[in-house]
Amino acid sequence: MHVNSESILSVSSLTKSVQVEDKTLTLLQPLNLTVAAGESIAIVGSSGSGKTTLLSILAGLDLPSSGEVYLKNQPLHQFNEEQRSQVRAQHVGFIFQQFLLINSLTALENVMLPAELANLPDAQARGEALLEQVGLADRLDHYPSQLSGGEQQRVAIARAFISKPDILFADEPTGNLDSKTGQHITDLIFDLNAKEGTTLVLVTHDPKLAARCQRQVEMDSGILNEKASAVVAESVDVESTSANDVTPETSTSQVG
Amino acid sequence: MIAVNQKKSSMWLAQSLRLLHHELRRGELTIIFLAIVLAVATVFSLTGFSGQIKHAIVANSTNTIGADRVLRLSTEVDKSFIDKSQAMSLNHARKIETESMAFAGDNMLLSEIDAVSETYPLRGELRIKTALTQENSVVVNAPKVGTVWVEPSVLSRLDVNIGDIIEIGVAPLTIAGIVTDIPDRSYRAFIAGPTVILNIADMPKTELIQPGSRMTYKYLFAGETDDVEAFEDWVKPQINEAQRWYDAKAAQNRLSRILDTAEKFLSLASMLGIVLAAVAVAVASRRYGQRHQSTVSIFKAMGASISHVRKLYCLHWTLLSCLSIATGLVVGYGLMLLGVNAIASYLSLADAPLTFTPFLTAIFTGLLCAVAFAIHPISVLVNSSPLSVIRGFSQQKVARFGWHQVPPLLALFILLFLFSQDAVMSAALLFGGIVVSFILLLFGRGLMSAGRSVGTKAGKSWHLALANLKRRASENSVQLVSFTIAIKLLLLITVMKSSILSEWEQQFPEDTPNHYLINISEHEIQPLQQFVDENNVANQGFYKVYRGRLAAINGEKTIREEDNSEQEQEQKAESASTEKKSEKSTEEKAEQSAGRRGAGRELGLTWRDELSPGNEVIEGQWWQLDDSKPQVSIESSMAERLEIALGDSLTFTLGSDEFTVPVTSIRKVNWQSRQLNFIMVFNRSVLEQYPTTAISAWSVSDQDRDMVYRFMANYPTVTLMDFAAIMAQLNNIIEQVSVAIQLILILVVLAGSLVLIAQVQASMEERERELAILRTLGARGKLLRNSVLYEFVALGAIAGLMASIGMEIAVYILQSQVFEMAGSFHFQYWLVGIGAGALFVGLIGMLSCWRLLNLSSVTLIRRTM
Repeated sequence: MHVNSESILSVSSLTKSVQVEDKTLTLLQPLNLTVAAGESIAIVGSSGSGKTTLLSILAGLDLPSSGEVYLKNQPLHQFNEEQRSQVRAQHVGFIFQQFLLINSLTALENVMLPAELANLPDAQARGEALLEQVGLADRLDHYPSQLSGGEQQRVAIARAFISKPDILFADEPTGNLDSKTGQHITDLIFDLNAKEGTTLVLVTHDPKLAARCQRQVEMDSGILNEKASAVVAESVDVESTSANDVTPETSTSQVG
Repeated sequence: MIAVNQKKSSMWLAQSLRLLHHELRRGELTIIFLAIVLAVATVFSLTGFSGQIKHAIVANSTNTIGADRVLRLSTEVDKSFIDKSQAMSLNHARKIETESMAFAGDNMLLSEIDAVSETYPLRGELRIKTALTQENSVVVNAPKVGTVWVEPSVLSRLDVNIGDIIEIGVAPLTIAGIVTDIPDRSYRAFIAGPTVILNIADMPKTELIQPGSRMTYKYLFAGETDDVEAFEDWVKPQINEAQRWYDAKAAQNRLSRILDTAEKFLSLASMLGIVLAAVAVAVASRRYGQRHQSTVSIFKAMGASISHVRKLYCLHWTLLSCLSIATGLVVGYGLMLLGVNAIASYLSLADAPLTFTPFLTAIFTGLLCAVAFAIHPISVLVNSSPLSVIRGFSQQKVARFGWHQVPPLLALFILLFLFSQDAVMSAALLFGGIVVSFILLLFGRGLMSAGRSVGTKAGKSWHLALANLKRRASENSVQLVSFTIAIKLLLLITVMKSSILSEWEQQFPEDTPNHYLINISEHEIQPLQQFVDENNVANQGFYKVYRGRLAAINGEKTIREEDNSEQEQEQKAESASTEKKSEKSTEEKAEQSAGRRGAGRELGLTWRDELSPGNEVIEGQWWQLDDSKPQVSIESSMAERLEIALGDSLTFTLGSDEFTVPVTSIRKVNWQSRQLNFIMVFNRSVLEQYPTTAISAWSVSDQDRDMVYRFMANYPTVTLMDFAAIMAQLNNIIEQVSVAIQLILILVVLAGSLVLIAQVQASMEERERELAILRTLGARGKLLRNSVLYEFVALGAIAGLMASIGMEIAVYILQSQVFEMAGSFHFQYWLVGIGAGALFVGLIGMLSCWRLLNLSSVTLIRRTM
């Protein structure tokens, strides 16, 4: 299999089907997709189109029924659960629609978690800095239940960036938020993404959110179609900027 | 690399500690923590406490028999025994024990009379104080001739002081001191009264010893081990089944067996609470597993490996177990000290050392509860898929039956075995427990369903409440079973204490004897008979009693049974299993020769011209008055036990005489009548020539009481026993037993409450959602509050109802089997049971839902929508 040296994520002939009672249900038709490093790509589509299924396979949470998935040149489709965990710890960040913070941990501890799992130094200092960047410097010791929805998602964003992931998967990140808060969260994600030079794979059915990505693909009944977009051409030009460029001084404005 | 590894290990250690810290603070682990603490504290305090008692009574008093060996018999021993022992250079002492009256002025008191020789005791210490104010007791032998030492209660009950004179039999004796320690004190449930110790030389002066008097003669021997053993070899072949030869170990074994039985009973009863605590752990850990599913999925999505998650939760759970067990040990130790304090006035446990056993048992119980009942939910949790972060979280599906139920069942079996040390019994209890729970479960579900259909016609809150009750029927069943058992225990104690005994007493006709007279000499019979006739005291006449032994049946000698009669009387509760295990003592090594089973003890024999009331001849015929041919009538159950049939010839020994008589009738006797009854009744010609004492039973009315007591003071050697006093002792025993049952009750209630709270917490999310929906639809706060309240009230009431039915069944069994009386209903207690259940479960339920019910609609809807 040819792997583009500049691509961070590469999928070929990927299918996914599940057995429901005695019928085989095809969720994903054979599809190919390559995502370049530093690119931001939106997977759009209606409910049940298979976009979330695709995301879970791309992120190594699930395995394809057939086909190949390379993330940072690692063959996820050949890896077992443990190996995929390791890949996720080293390269992947997540933002979920449901925020998915751990209720029994404070905001700071939630943020520190991926850094600790990846054995990164200065987890606490980095966590504090990131929470400051997302405007929650005074909420470090709060539990998720003491935070509003917008605040929880900001903690989740800080968590997603702490391990300096090469690729960030966001699943309907604004789906549970009102439009104003959603707007702030979107700004925050794209700001941090730009600063960290992270590759962003975003699943949404919100066309406005999708439009902010450099490239859009559409899922329809398990079939992937590239959507013509003005920014597609730029995608290759965006070189990954060094993560070290980000300093606390460049923190974003308060949102949420 | 090493540094990285260290960092890695410290990382998950830190995460695990953080998790524990937060979870404890947030109260997520409270139920599990409390349940383990409860189980550990119960086991520790119980095992520790009983261990200390055992040690204080048995191990600490190295000599509970006052000698190396004791020969106990009902007559004086042949002088050759004493001569032989002296020839073998053994020391000896004598002791005569009996029950009799002590008099002081108008007061009389039934006492335990111990007459001892100058050398008593040979081992151990007899200690007295010569003044009430004296601080330290002194070691003594026998009291001086003409004086007695008494136990403290004698002074208060006879209203006398040291230096005053009391009469034992017809002998006036001066109280010279108060007894504080008796080396060979007997621990029996029924002791006539406080002990009075006198010099054996004063015994003839009391005139208590008459032909046929019931006396226990003890001969104490001590010396060099070899000499004692040589003497033992000489003695043992010569003793018969009514005589007992024992060493300290045999006495201790008997005592410790009684204590073991009590301990075993308590432990097994407390198993009920421990099982419930374990169920609380299971329920709470299942909910814990569900709540943490998202945490594990997030951890895994973030790249945590399964081994990382496993280590995290194993350590987390280990830390929780250690913390709970440690707390349980501390609480248990506190409870044990409370217990030790409570009995300090009866028994000093000050220097009894605490062994490792209670620690090990308690820790093991805690670990079993923490691990066996949580292993399945935790392993499901650890295996949660990271995909759930995308797909959403499903409820842990727990199959009703499956392999995951093996560890808890195995753990229960191990716990039962730990406490009972009996595999068959453990398996039976486990199986029985499952069956009983299953019956209660089915019955409870039936009642819940019935409630549901009634509920559709009731008010709105009731309707909601009963619908909820039915929907959560399977979860509710566990609580139902535990509360049913708790309420049943409560009712049983109440009914036992307040009803059964009084009902039993009431069922006897007016003239049922309430006083028993023992040790009546031949010459006293006539004036006593005259007294009862003149004063119309209802009585059954006088029975002459002869103490004899059944020596042979149809010429075949009866053998000595392994269980001696006394054990039979004193340790009815003892199970056969301990018997086999306990070390064979000197006494038990008795030769097992072939021969027929005997009565196992000396029998009280009497003669009668006519059949006594309450006796019925079921086989053969009662003799004619003029029939002088020797014959005997035997009681039917004894005939059955010894396989004696009509026409068999029985050989009896009476003192040094032996005679053989044929069985000419078999009688059925109503033992419950409180009349005087005998197993062996002869015709006049067999026994009349032997001298003996008589017994009688009188029914003394309240107004005649003083007159009878004044009259009886003229006959100081006759022992007068008041049935009310015996009943008071029985009541006292029931009181003590109910204290033990109450402890179990508290334990069961606590553990049951933990299960209830755990269940409520497990249903909390669902309840929140329901309340939110109802709120949205416009339900008023009062309706919601009431529906929750009624749900628990109904649950408690159903438990109360089932408990009442269970109580009636138990009481019926007690009444028909133990008290042999007609069964009766106790409906007034049904209300107590149902009311107590509804109130308690309603209260606990409301308290655990308090937070939920006080959430504002907005919060509720925001939290769940």
